[in-house]
Amino acid sequence: MTVRVDTALTTMTGPAAPPRRNGELVFDARWQGRAFGMAIAVVERLGLEWTAFQRQLIAEIAAHPEAPYYDCWVAALERLVLDCGAVTAEEMKTAHNTVRAQAS
Amino acid sequence: MSGHDDEHHHPAPLSPVEVRARALEELLTEKGLIQEGFIDAVVSAYENDIGPMNGARVVARAWVDPAYKTRLLANGTAAIAELGFGGPEGEHLVVVENTPAVHNVVVCTLCSCYPWPVLGLPPNWYKSPPYRARIVREPRVLLREMGLDLPESVEIRVWDSSAEIRYMVLPERPAGTEGKNEAELAALVSRDAMIGTARP
Repeated sequence: MTVRVDTALTTMTGPAAPPRRNGELVFDARWQGRAFGMAIAVVERLGLEWTAFQRQLIAEIAAHPEAPYYDCWVAALERLVLDCGAVTAEEMKTAHNTVRAQAS
Repeated sequence: MSGHDDEHHHPAPLSPVEVRARALEELLTEKGLIQEGFIDAVVSAYENDIGPMNGARVVARAWVDPAYKTRLLANGTAAIAELGFGGPEGEHLVVVENTPAVHNVVVCTLCSCYPWPVLGLPPNWYKSPPYRARIVREPRVLLREMGLDLPESVEIRVWDSSAEIRYMVLPERPAGTEGKNEAELAALVSRDAMIGTARP
């Protein structure tokens, strides 16, 4: 599967820019990479502009400056899918419970 | 942060954010917003396919293979294509060689032309007006500020990239690396060394 590298994403600057090492993106854990890919998938499938996600991300980082970058990323993505109605809060809560039950 | 890859074999307690990320992925997959394989493809594209490791492999090959180095300096685009790299924004790659007497550094004074296929994403400073102006006007001073203090005896050549020609620096092989293999050598080559604002 080929993926178009979105320059709107790769040129994000300031606090919303993804962490890099030697110019490359750095994922410290597997879930961070998956969260990264999820945002790209969702923006594309919902027909949104990348800036729609970027705005949520900037808002999350501003609201939680001490939080790790990809924690804000996940929160921004949750906010995005809730706001556009793709997922309901109830569904999200149920999914959290399911995942917790599976993991324990 | 260890153990994430074998979590299926040894279930470890998930952190709250991991629970949220996994729940989100399951929900979005269920709703058809994520296609099978898409996330892996995205991660791989952003993490592996673009990035300075491509350029580093070119440099390492040139260090161990004199015939390759000759081809690289004669026709950068063709020699880089031999290793499988190229494509848009890498069509006219020119490689300039550092020697004990000459240090090369790359800029794009007009905008931010950059050899993407070999160097990945340009760093923010590369696109900044101060770098673009000062590396031409006072390269020695700026390089020193960036941590590269070159002796006065070394001539500095500044290469201005454009939409037609994109430059990449072939750094000098560091002393004391005779015993290293190609992969180990590639790990020594940083993005900045291939722009010319650092040395490996």
